Amino acid sequence: MEGGKDKEDEQDGVSVHSPCKAPPSSASSLPKFFAGEQQEVELELRLLEALEIYPPVKLRGMHRHFVLYGLMEFLQKSLDRQFSPDEVLQLLDRFYNLEVLKPDDEEIDILNHEEDLLATKLFCQEEP
Amino acid sequence: MGSSNTALSDDDSATVTKTDSDSDSATETDEEICNRYDTCLFREDEKVLAYHSRFIYLAKVLKCEKRSNGWHYFVHYLGWKKNWDEWVGVDRLMKFTEENLQKQEAINKKLKEERKGEFRTSKRGTSLVSMRHPKGSRGKKRNSDSICKDKQTVPSDSSEKLVNIRIPLTLKKHLINDCEFITHLGKLFILPRTPSVEDILKMYLDYRYKKDNIMASSCNAVREIFKGICAYFNKALPVILLYKSERKQYRCIITEDLRPSMVYGAEHLLRLFVKLPELLMRADIEQKTLLELQKNLVDFLKFLQKNQNALFRSIYHVEDVETSTSKPDI
Repeated sequence: MEGGKDKEDEQDGVSVHSPCKAPPSSASSLPKFFAGEQQEVELELRLLEALEIYPPVKLRGMHRHFVLYGLMEFLQKSLDRQFSPDEVLQLLDRFYNLEVLKPDDEEIDILNHEEDLLATKLFCQEEP
Repeated sequence: MGSSNTALSDDDSATVTKTDSDSDSATETDEEICNRYDTCLFREDEKVLAYHSRFIYLAKVLKCEKRSNGWHYFVHYLGWKKNWDEWVGVDRLMKFTEENLQKQEAINKKLKEERKGEFRTSKRGTSLVSMRHPKGSRGKKRNSDSICKDKQTVPSDSSEKLVNIRIPLTLKKHLINDCEFITHLGKLFILPRTPSVEDILKMYLDYRYKKDNIMASSCNAVREIFKGICAYFNKALPVILLYKSERKQYRCIITEDLRPSMVYGAEHLLRLFVKLPELLMRADIEQKTLLELQKNLVDFLKFLQKNQNALFRSIYHVEDVETSTSKPDI
């Protein structure tokens, strides 16, 4: 997140680059505020739970769309509503600066050397 | 299709070698036993199934070495850290075939049931190691340094980790025909192909909006999946989806501004689907979500099959590798 650090302290597990934003509050509608805040907290908790399965670093590599899809599905099931990819990325933006994350090393492992396509590899599950 | 215990040949033959696992036969002759030890049965980079601690894992042969007690193979267990890589003898390995995959599933399932009481299940419904990395994740070795090396852990089946994407027979025939024309007859597809991979994916998304009768904005999940397919295609094409004789053409045509998905068509996209399970394994998607994903991918293949006349070349109008002239072939 650009915009410098707030007075808020950094939370555990949160990147130095992305302090959490404080939820909006209104002095004249405290009940709404608390309900809203609870929803926010629930959302953030579910997101962090999702990130345990889908590490943010994978959003930088070749699997990024599938990982994002996984996050969307997880949030949808947990919170019973649709999430667009942009919404998920915006949520993540509160915690991480994705641009500075380096892609996972393992990705380099899969497609790290050229391999000529061979019929025998292509059809290894062919029925006789 | 011949059955052979010899190493797979390099000749890009279109015939499939389905290898029987002779080591399972109760009636192995002395000669067969000799052959098994004295012949290099697996080649470098070959995908295999490997026994370890009674379970069967998906692995890849990295090196082969002839020793006094038979050929040995240095294998890497796919999805596991490199520190598990090891030298194994032929008795630990099986060919990566449908039959052996089924055997793997059966054996691993049986062993898991035997150990059922000892392990708790993970979020993904697969058995976990008893010591977990604090971050949780899948509890695989790659995430935990604290797991003891004697593999008391219960792995997921390689076949469970792999999403099952069955390519319809009529589409497989395209793969076979391409192989014949390209590797045996020295032909190439004329590029750019129309429709391109990007065109095809867009056609499919339009078809889905109409079929599912939903707003485009609600199709986010499907759109994201096929953006993923496109990303895989662009990354994988030059690395693992080209026959040797297609490489020069690739180098000539692809530039920084021209992605493979803008240039290549259904024929090459189909090759990706053969490799897709292995690629998706690395994405580490939750089992339930993987099943949803699988449905979408299978539906896409049905779409390709239904529209194959429009999407695939039925008459091979291809370039000659040697002469680079366009010649229609029937």
